[in-house]
Amino acid sequence: MKTFTFKAVILLFLLFSPTYVHAQLPKITFAPQWLPQAQFAGYYVAQEKGFYKEAGIEVEIVHPSANIQATALLSSGKADLISLFLITGMSAKNQGLDIVNIAQISQHSAILFVTKKFSGIDKLGKLDGKKIGIWKSGFDEVPKALMKEKSLNVEWVPILSTVNLFMMDGIDAMTVMWYNEYNNIINCGVNEDELNVFPVAEYGYDIPEDGLYCLKSTYEKRKPELLKFLEATLKGWDYAAANKTIAIDMVLERMKQAHIPANRVHQEWMLDKVLEMIMISDKKTKRGELLESDFLKAAGILDNSTKSKWKYTFAEFYKPLDR
Amino acid sequence: MKKTTLSRHIIRNVLLFCIALFLVTFSVYYYFTRNTIRETTRENAIFLANNTVNRIEQVLTPAEKIPEIVAKMLESAFLSKDSLIPFLKSMLSINKNVYGSIIAYEPDYFPEQGMYFAPYVCRQGDTIHSVVLGDKNYEYFYMDWYQIPKMTNAPYWSEPYFDEGGGNVLMTTYSVPFYTYKDGKRTFSGIVTVDISLEWLTEIMSQVKILNTGYAFLLSRNGVIITHPNKDYVMNQTIFTIAKENNQPAMRETGRNMIQGKSNFESAGFRSKWKAGKLWINYAALPSSHWSIGVIYPDDEMFASLHKINIILLILILVGLSMLSFVIYKIVNKLTSPLKHFAASARLIAAGNFNVHLPEIKTEDEMKELHNSFSFMQKELGDYIVTLKDTTTAKEKIESELRIAKEIQMSMIPHIFPPFPDLPQIDVFAVLKSAKEVGGDLYDFFVIDGNKFCFAIGDVSGKGVPASLFMAVTRTLVRSISDKESSPSVIVGTLNKSISLNNESSMFVTFFLGVLDLSNGELKYTNAGHNPPVIIKKNKEAVMFDKTKFIPVGLFEDFDYGQSSIQLEPGDKIFLYTDGVSEAENSESELFGDGTIMDIIGRNVTAPPRELIHKMEEGISAHVNGFAQSDDITMMTIVYNG
Repeated sequence: MKTFTFKAVILLFLLFSPTYVHAQLPKITFAPQWLPQAQFAGYYVAQEKGFYKEAGIEVEIVHPSANIQATALLSSGKADLISLFLITGMSAKNQGLDIVNIAQISQHSAILFVTKKFSGIDKLGKLDGKKIGIWKSGFDEVPKALMKEKSLNVEWVPILSTVNLFMMDGIDAMTVMWYNEYNNIINCGVNEDELNVFPVAEYGYDIPEDGLYCLKSTYEKRKPELLKFLEATLKGWDYAAANKTIAIDMVLERMKQAHIPANRVHQEWMLDKVLEMIMISDKKTKRGELLESDFLKAAGILDNSTKSKWKYTFAEFYKPLDR
Repeated sequence: MKKTTLSRHIIRNVLLFCIALFLVTFSVYYYFTRNTIRETTRENAIFLANNTVNRIEQVLTPAEKIPEIVAKMLESAFLSKDSLIPFLKSMLSINKNVYGSIIAYEPDYFPEQGMYFAPYVCRQGDTIHSVVLGDKNYEYFYMDWYQIPKMTNAPYWSEPYFDEGGGNVLMTTYSVPFYTYKDGKRTFSGIVTVDISLEWLTEIMSQVKILNTGYAFLLSRNGVIITHPNKDYVMNQTIFTIAKENNQPAMRETGRNMIQGKSNFESAGFRSKWKAGKLWINYAALPSSHWSIGVIYPDDEMFASLHKINIILLILILVGLSMLSFVIYKIVNKLTSPLKHFAASARLIAAGNFNVHLPEIKTEDEMKELHNSFSFMQKELGDYIVTLKDTTTAKEKIESELRIAKEIQMSMIPHIFPPFPDLPQIDVFAVLKSAKEVGGDLYDFFVIDGNKFCFAIGDVSGKGVPASLFMAVTRTLVRSISDKESSPSVIVGTLNKSISLNNESSMFVTFFLGVLDLSNGELKYTNAGHNPPVIIKKNKEAVMFDKTKFIPVGLFEDFDYGQSSIQLEPGDKIFLYTDGVSEAENSESELFGDGTIMDIIGRNVTAPPRELIHKMEEGISAHVNGFAQSDDITMMTIVYNG
């Protein structure tokens, strides 16, 4: 009897000790800027493969909803760290949210205009006077800046989320993400050779997109933990690039849990293209870094597209973690 | 070579032909039957698809009418703002298929309502619930059901969606734009919709039964899977993502045809993960919503009846061919069994048994002819053998007589050597080997007046009995003439006269006759057309006599023969021969020749007569090398010892 009690104590200790250890890890709540999809595969992989725990942090991933944006999660304290497009992050800061960019994950722009070939719009200039669909939820600064620069007078048609209006020819062109809506169109039975595409990057607007943001106060207080998060996240992306099937399985599982229609083929496409965006390619920077030239270009766009002038210096906006 | 039978041979050929015939027939049958089945299936498929389309349309088409009528009413200003919700409620209560309905106005249409105004009624259980929608969190202007018909100025069936508020039911919305007059202008003013639950659609589609495992599926305008037996596909996949996932480009093409509203029955160029094997597909579009219904026919099930018939047919044919083989075997065996007997009879006949019993043939066909031929052959062979026996007996008799003739002929020429033991001056040796039983060659020698040695050699034209008789006559005449004469020219001339007289058969004889005077060694001779003999001077060279100018004996009665003479020294030899020696042939028709004769003599100048002739015989024997002797061979050697 005595032996049994002893064993039970040991067993209890073994059972609870990991929890006990976990409880000790500093916790970061991370919110990507959209619902679960392969765009965030690196974070899911880092979490599920235990890279965050290995780095010594506990990470919880929460997603925004159609009504509550990532910035709202950050300002309300429901998230410590969020992912935003560079231009969205800068815009938010300009509007008073005291945030800083701690890392630039994506280095390129995935935005492009797409038209159907039969429309005859095969040059950017031909979009003048046409109806162009654009996300109602944002990400519109760069395409709008491009059109303004080219002095093209277009009618912007805000769209919530589907490509149906474009499919039904309710608009002449549509602004899409290379990794997302473009492939949705393909998956609705339109062949690639039936489309003309105009990537904004080809017109000098290769503005980086996904970056990591936190409140300035968080940056100041939790720098080492944020660094751990960044390193483990990059490790997660490396793993996803090398093990795409496993990464996609994880993404699809998240989508199922969130009751979002999940489609493997589309998520595979998205992962491939998002990985391309993360590639530094010919940029003179290292992974996760924000180039000042990109920052300045984005600032220029903001200056031109909004009424309020951009107010911050590069150093005020970008707080690289000492890696 | 492997032994085979006639029946096996016939069976093989007939079977090959039958199989070829069967293959051709079967191919034609298969081709046409398959076409017929395909055509029938096509008709059924089209009927089935149309039927299903109609069942779906029976719900969708009346549903279209509702918002269209409402839109007209709104345009005509029949409805006041306050009556909208009661109107929608009553409309819902009488249209059981309609789950909900909304009348959504453009921003600020009613200034007192502000930006948003969208009265909405929907079913909640048995009650009908109403609410006015639209606020910052529900900006309906940007929703597909509003935005698309507005932008396209046309009614719009939405892509199906899961309604989260209404128990996660699959729904679709039909939206119709409505217009009102503002400042006298017909202006777009909003959208009227009805929401239709698609639960019944799944029900209808699942009721479509095709063969055993065929199935139907429904695609939205974007190719989204609305119904499919695989629930995982529904609303998660488009036909295009499935095509990409399974790497089936042909499926994408079919999908494009479907969403473009085409209809067809075709062999599917793709394979499905859901249903293995070759597939056929029939697709047709829904006129209202432009969705497309696809019906999948598994090829193996489509042609199952054909395959079953094929197997039965194959078994029947195999049985038929076996039976055919058996029957052919029996018939051929019955027809050809006498042949075996004939073969056995032929062997016995060949062995000499001409009276062997032939098989009895009752039919009057080729076999009977064979029988008659055999029996004729039997009789003819018997007769022939009897004749042959008689001929053989006669021939044997002749041969025996010839043998005796030879003995007589040989006894006529001297064949005891040495012939004159009491005459030391000369030594003689001679041989005569006939080519046939009796020959035309002759030689002879005798002594005249005690001191003259007469010798002769000759060759009668022709061979056999006539030649031997001629030879006997010649020999007898020479002997009788030389009784009174010792001059060679006289002897030969007298001989010629005697022979030429009464020589009706025109035979002749080449003849050499010499008379050697034993006391002084003088040799006188006459050569009547014979091969020149060889003189071998003692221990010196051998030389041939000069060629004669005289013709053979027996040709011209009055021919005048002369004579020559030479002086022999003791030890000199003379070698005489007939053309059987010089013209001895081998198998290559090469002649022995004078040259060879001279060579052999040259090597044996000192040899005594007997030995020289033996050496010559060996030389001839070596030359002909077993080839049959064609002419008499006669040789004689005389040595003068002085």
